Amino acid sequence: MRAQMLTSLGAAIFAAGCIPVQIQAPDEPIEINLNVNIRQEVIVRLERDAAELLDQNSELFGGTP
Amino acid sequence: MKRHIVLAGITAIGLALTATVAMAQASDSVLAQARAEGLIGEQADGYLGFVPGATISADLRGRVDQNNIQRRQLYTRRATERGVAVNEMAAAVACEVFQRPRIAMGERYRNETGQWRQRTAGAPIEVPSFCGE
Repeated sequence: MRAQMLTSLGAAIFAAGCIPVQIQAPDEPIEINLNVNIRQEVIVRLERDAAELLDQNSELFGGTP
Repeated sequence: MKRHIVLAGITAIGLALTATVAMAQASDSVLAQARAEGLIGEQADGYLGFVPGATISADLRGRVDQNNIQRRQLYTRRATERGVAVNEMAAAVACEVFQRPRIAMGERYRNETGQWRQRTAGAPIEVPSFCGE
């Protein structure tokens, strides 16, 4: 009896797993943009180098403000 | 005799240095004038660019290209030392150029999205989004 119940429960669970679930894809493609942050982090880290390059090579860039 | 040769050598080196400095300065003033006239401008990618519609002489084009080659050398050297991409080093310098700013009033510049703008008293410079505070 118990075995029968367990079997039917198992069958029910199995059947539930087969119910087709419709997931609608969004119209817009999902875009994960990790580049921006990484880039900004790198660029902020390079700030001192950039300032140094600018100061040491003033002739290549525009006049002092 | 030997002394004369040494003296001539020193003079030649001196002349060459003077010529190089003079040429660099001449290029500076030509570029400065072209910037002021709105023919060329700083770009958010860290290089100089030509303003669309401007008439660019072959001489000016050569000087701008030369300037950009020198910039690229600087960026490449420092990027290698720091283990970052060249365009990242270039962008970091662009941030300095846009934020200090090294774009004078009235000059044109190319923003992050590629549009050309003019720095005027009423319009603050559009600093690229990848720059820090």
